Amino acid sequence: MSAVPLPAPAAARPRLAPWLLRLHRPALYVWTALVLLTAAALLWLGGPLTDAAASAWDQYGACDWSAHCSYDQPAILRYKDVANYTTLAVTAVPFLVAAWAGAALFGREMESGTAQLTWTQGVTPTRWLTTRLALPAALITTGTSLLVLLHHLAWTAGEGRIDTAKPWYDTLTLHANGPTTVALALTGLAAGALAGLTLRRTLPALCVSLLAVACTRGLADLAMPHLWPAVTRVTDLRQDPAGTGLTVDQGLVTATGRHIADPGCGSTLAPECRALYERLDATAFYTDYHPASHYWPLQLTTTLALLTLTALLTTIGYVTLRRTTGGRRRGAAV
Amino acid sequence: MTDTAFEAAGLGKRFGRRGGWALRDCALRLPAGRVCALVGPNGAGKSTLLALAAGLLAPTEGRVTVLGTAPAAARARVGYVAQDKPLHPQLTIADTLRMGAGLNPGHWDADTAERVVAAGDLDPKAKVRSLSGGQRTRVALALALGKRPGLLLLDEPMADLDPLARHDLMGTLMAQAAQYGTTIVMSSHVVAELEDSCDHLLLLGGGRVRLAGEIDDLLAAHARVAVPAGTDLAPHTVVESRTTGRQLTALLRPASPLPSDWRATTPSLEELVLSHLRNPDALALTPAHEEAAA
Repeated sequence: MSAVPLPAPAAARPRLAPWLLRLHRPALYVWTALVLLTAAALLWLGGPLTDAAASAWDQYGACDWSAHCSYDQPAILRYKDVANYTTLAVTAVPFLVAAWAGAALFGREMESGTAQLTWTQGVTPTRWLTTRLALPAALITTGTSLLVLLHHLAWTAGEGRIDTAKPWYDTLTLHANGPTTVALALTGLAAGALAGLTLRRTLPALCVSLLAVACTRGLADLAMPHLWPAVTRVTDLRQDPAGTGLTVDQGLVTATGRHIADPGCGSTLAPECRALYERLDATAFYTDYHPASHYWPLQLTTTLALLTLTALLTTIGYVTLRRTTGGRRRGAAV
Repeated sequence: MTDTAFEAAGLGKRFGRRGGWALRDCALRLPAGRVCALVGPNGAGKSTLLALAAGLLAPTEGRVTVLGTAPAAARARVGYVAQDKPLHPQLTIADTLRMGAGLNPGHWDADTAERVVAAGDLDPKAKVRSLSGGQRTRVALALALGKRPGLLLLDEPMADLDPLARHDLMGTLMAQAAQYGTTIVMSSHVVAELEDSCDHLLLLGGGRVRLAGEIDDLLAAHARVAVPAGTDLAPHTVVESRTTGRQLTALLRPASPLPSDWRATTPSLEELVLSHLRNPDALALTPAHEEAAA
């Protein structure tokens, strides 16, 4: 620490955060409502709806089908609907964040010149950007984490009790259950910021940030199974290929141990399949997959990858802003 | 404290790597306390020059200094009103001024800001989005004046004002300049609009400085002459000349006292500006060129 007292006392720093909240009050209300409503729906889903659906499935399981069988079908359907809608809502969060950040938080302010107005009001562009990233990032992280946690709890409550509940590796459920959604929401914020700062127009920034999040989400889906070593399971040709979880690859093992593509014939119970496998010199099925125990390693590696991307986009945003406005070099007092 | 409010050397700005130069080789020096008219046709680079001085754009080449330091370091002391008067439409006038106070802690003059707004008969509770163009200008100006800037940069401040409001706001500005010694640079493509209030002129054309200096000095350095056709005008610098019938009229920059039989008059500011804009090849007159010639 330097012994020289700073010329500007802390009280004399421009107060940006209250004005950011004031200017984006509608967005804050919408976000709060979205989080609260979805959270309420998830609590309802994890509690009463899961119990009702689970007992309905018990009734269904007890049916002997020789006579009239009655079970609470509406409870099962209600569970399914609410589960689907809440999963979709949690999945949509990063997209909503990206659209808002690109359009309202950055694009519109750059287009209308109100960002520049702030920079000529004793606030450096760097500090402006920091406030505009940090405060929303805190609110987004808090809200999304809450939703993801409740989604995970609701999903766990139904696990093994409800036949129609989604498996852990269902792509929407997989992300909605874990921190990848929080990381993707932050990527959306950073992408929106960068799009707004570079395009300087509302609509293009909105489209580009949405597209960026959609692509990132797609890439994350593709990359996730490869971010952690998969487990290989070999099964006899008389059975079907086995290994329940996030499948990476599936095929046939030949007598030499080579992995070849599965023609999709099925088990050797069918004589024509047996002939086909003999022709291919196949001895077994193999499945490269992630069992449920890989859930956290997969979640954490993907989250890390997304956060790295977010940091990269944020850095580019700062560099772009500094290059456009000619701010002082890094390390200089701001 | 420096006696130069705004200085540029070799200043150039190009938008995009392959874009054209909005401003090139710009050298100027504006002493503190002046009210400077920044004049030039559309696309001359006026807005670019003001945005560079306000620290909103980084120069592609050369350097710009305001109030003795880099624009990025002078934010707190420089006021700037952009051409389209950006304000947050969802805020009320009172909120807008409160924001000014919040963003300029320690150097916000609430009285001045409120006085500028009150002079326009504006309701502080009115939302900015409900204001007319002229009323917006007044609020934007209040926001810029409230921080009591040492240098005030105004981009086409009077463009959407009626003559009465224009006169009114100009009065407010001049009072501010006189009271606090604020240096004001205001751009316009209408010379007449600024002639009465400004004492310094900066004429841009095609991205370069064509004329720079005190208006009185610039006028005194030029002469409009009417002489018989065929008269040799050397060694004087000819800005513009036209022969009609047997008479040659020209706008000159005399290199020495003119012959007594030449009918010479002092040009008006508008004539001076238009002659220079019509003749982009005429030698520019700026302090930099004077120093080079000396």
